[in-house]
Amino acid sequence: MKRFLLGTASAALLSFGSMASAETTIELQRFFGACEADYGDVTDVSAAVGECGIITALTNKFQADNPGIKVNVTHVEWPGYDQLNAQLASRSAPDVVSMHYSVISDYQSRGLLQPLDDLLASQSIDPASFTDAGLGGVTKDGKMYGLPFDNWTMLFHVNMNMMKEAGLVNADGSPMLPTSTDEFFEMGAKFKAATGKPYLVQILANETAAYARVLYTLLQQQNSDFFSDPSGIKLNTPEAKAAVAFLKKIKDEGMTTVDMDYPAAVSGFTNGEGGIAVNGTWLIGSYEAQSHEAGNAISDGGYTVYPIPQFFGGKDSTYADGHGWVVPTAKRDDEKMEGIGKLFKFLADNDFQWARTGHLPAVKAVFDMPEFQGLPHRDNIAKIAQTGESLPAEVQRQFAIQDIIGEEVGSAVNGDKSIDDALATAEARINDMLDNL
Amino acid sequence: MAKTYSANDLTANRRLFWIAAIFAFVMMAPVMWILGLSLKNNAELMRGTQAVFEAPYTLVNYLNIMKSSDVFGWFLNSMIVAVGQTVGVLVLSSLAGYAFARLEFPFRKSLFVIVLFGLAVPEQAVIIARHQMFNWFAMHNNHFTLMLPGMSSAFGVFLMTQFFRAIPKEIDEAALLDNTSQFRIFWRVLLPLTLPAQATLGIFTFLQAWNDYWWPLISATKKDMYTLTIGIASSQTNFAQSEGLGFLSAQAVFASLPVVIVYIFFQRHIVTAVSGGAVK
Repeated sequence: MKRFLLGTASAALLSFGSMASAETTIELQRFFGACEADYGDVTDVSAAVGECGIITALTNKFQADNPGIKVNVTHVEWPGYDQLNAQLASRSAPDVVSMHYSVISDYQSRGLLQPLDDLLASQSIDPASFTDAGLGGVTKDGKMYGLPFDNWTMLFHVNMNMMKEAGLVNADGSPMLPTSTDEFFEMGAKFKAATGKPYLVQILANETAAYARVLYTLLQQQNSDFFSDPSGIKLNTPEAKAAVAFLKKIKDEGMTTVDMDYPAAVSGFTNGEGGIAVNGTWLIGSYEAQSHEAGNAISDGGYTVYPIPQFFGGKDSTYADGHGWVVPTAKRDDEKMEGIGKLFKFLADNDFQWARTGHLPAVKAVFDMPEFQGLPHRDNIAKIAQTGESLPAEVQRQFAIQDIIGEEVGSAVNGDKSIDDALATAEARINDMLDNL
Repeated sequence: MAKTYSANDLTANRRLFWIAAIFAFVMMAPVMWILGLSLKNNAELMRGTQAVFEAPYTLVNYLNIMKSSDVFGWFLNSMIVAVGQTVGVLVLSSLAGYAFARLEFPFRKSLFVIVLFGLAVPEQAVIIARHQMFNWFAMHNNHFTLMLPGMSSAFGVFLMTQFFRAIPKEIDEAALLDNTSQFRIFWRVLLPLTLPAQATLGIFTFLQAWNDYWWPLISATKKDMYTLTIGIASSQTNFAQSEGLGFLSAQAVFASLPVVIVYIFFQRHIVTAVSGGAVK
């Protein structure tokens, strides 16, 4: 009888224990959209495509592998920071949040994010396993405030069919890309003469981010230390003037499409409105798929992609940002923290799957994986893991800065302001904002 | 005797018709464009939106909306909030309007001016304080909080006050002579006379509450409390405007359906409400 009672009590305790662990719920808030209709039950991650599909399948797979942990996903409209601010103000922030590296400073500087070094160490996640660009993106004041998930940047998406028409193809079949600003205009003129279309397809209307990202790249390529002091930007410099003058000349000499907003530029490239689309890593998958369909300008495999070339003599560099996962500061029990740790370990271990979106992996080992190397065009852009560079981690309000730079550089490129005036205004507006933080 | 029309009248009418038709086309074109996009495959639209003029068309985007189990919950939330807020505004505005128009009480005029100040204060100016206030009482993420701020409608109070003032006082006096209580005068005598104003206020309040985005965005942060506007926006992929244009358009059509239905059923009242000022 005693044995029976002990056995029953043990069984009850065990079942209670398993019930308790089954109740561990991680509130995960993210952008990337909702696609439960297509991927709500998918646990085979390799069968998922696109950002939304892959992250949904990853979450499903994690839950299937960890029956004691439930991940309650809340989708927010991109980028979701207004909602997060409200949640932080009302002390109801979720446990895990998707966040751009460029935004982490805004929250970390106010003590709203939890350092993750111990949590990652507890799951044997080695910081050295991440790329420099990924690690730099989440490290502030010597501590990691996020799990690096990817890096993204602007690229040269190339229409190979039109490049062949223009005779701008190397013997090995790769496109001839410019290595200086002068060469850019020579090749652009040759391209235009042969195809009747502008060399570049750019997002020049209703856009701020693209201008800013390209400007950062061109400044980095000139070794410009425009944020040597993170509390103030320096744009009244010869490097900034040279960069904006280059962008303006591209437009003035008809080397680019004009008046295209983001969607128009995306479809404009597929429709052969120009030879090279200056757009992000996230389009690689879509363009690659279209290059294998009939009836568009990049059909018959007429697509490839490369990093933005080094136009200036300083260094090979590309502005890069990325997505990470952060944990807002709050009291959480050990069980939940362990669950979050396991989730992070799972996401890091499956970084290859996320890299299928077109974003660059944040985990170094993925670059050496045959599966990754087998993905189309990844070898062309892999060097961005070394050349990708974000703004200094201490710079706050990077989204707002991007908007100001986009507005002012756009004014200069479109001829509404002189280059000097635009850069001076941008510098004054940004520094005024940073002074008032 | 039947009116006869001269050739000039007919020509003028025809001109008026064509001008109205052109304006109607200009107003309808974006709506038709969205409707057309919603019936096309995302991949086709990514290659170019001119695909909207070519078959085949598909309902797949609408089916994808229906497949999301959350949509109906969001729809219900929107309905609860919009109807609740509308009822609240009608009740509070009618009572306040009656009080300001008919009752004598200390500081009546000053209070009315304070209410009118509410018309000049934009939501953006008070949103942080409001969010904090509800936070102190741990009231976020519920239906009541979503509808409560919208119930204090300065416009509603102003409209109802003006409407009650326009009703001749002799009607109240006749009822008073019959020993009718103040509340019965309000409830049984005057309130029925304000039905046109109630309809106007009700329709505008419903439309505003249905379309509200900002307050639900920061108050309803749990997925099951999203209203339709927030839920649909959160479902969009990061590059929906290029890679999911058909789905995005279907969501826009779906979210606007109740508003269209309200407009169809209450068209007469809406037109009266909008043109009311002109014919008075």
